[in-house]
Amino acid sequence: MLSDVCLTLASFTQPESIGATGLSMLWMFPLLASIAVIYKTAKLRAMFWPAFITETLKLTAFLSGFMILAIVVLNLVVWLLTS
Amino acid sequence: MTQPRQKPDLILWLIVVALAGWVVPGASYFLIKQTRRAIVACITITLTFAVGLYIGSVGIVDSVGGWAWYMAQLLASPAVWLFDQMTRSGQYPSYGRPCDIGQIYTAVAGLLNLLCILSAVYMAYSGRGETIGQEEADAV
Repeated sequence: MLSDVCLTLASFTQPESIGATGLSMLWMFPLLASIAVIYKTAKLRAMFWPAFITETLKLTAFLSGFMILAIVVLNLVVWLLTS
Repeated sequence: MTQPRQKPDLILWLIVVALAGWVVPGASYFLIKQTRRAIVACITITLTFAVGLYIGSVGIVDSVGGWAWYMAQLLASPAVWLFDQMTRSGQYPSYGRPCDIGQIYTAVAGLLNLLCILSAVYMAYSGRGETIGQEEADAV
């Protein structure tokens, strides 16, 4: 039990290995979900679970879509400037 | 029906609500009887901060080399100051992409906590929090 706790704590002292590749952009999605959850937590007048979950999912999808669009547009601009 | 608070009491109450939210994320909602919001805010902010620390290691909390990030991280909890004391020796170096992602996660967690604190303080100021909390409890 104690060794499990020590191992868990030790995992917070070494960085994970994440390469500087396009795949590392996937880390953005959990963060967008967090932002959507907290935004809706603060914004909704009353917290009823079905409405809260629906609103949060909608906002997460909207933010993800916007970020993907921004990535595509920025890549296009770079491609046009460098080609 | 609860009596409205007097002005000095109200100011003290708002300070207590804000400080509670800083010490424990979500606690400010709990104080104004918004239990559901408190649970969601506490879990989400703590999890976001913990994921950031896991990705970049505790070394991402650096009040000297990354003071701007540190200011945002500090909004998550005063415990961040303890992490900074731990990493002062340079024993936990963190560089590159994991450091970037970890700093973004932890700083955003701090800023989200600030949003929760401001929202809870406004609810406490307007007296809206307890009314809505009662509505939610009645609906169950």
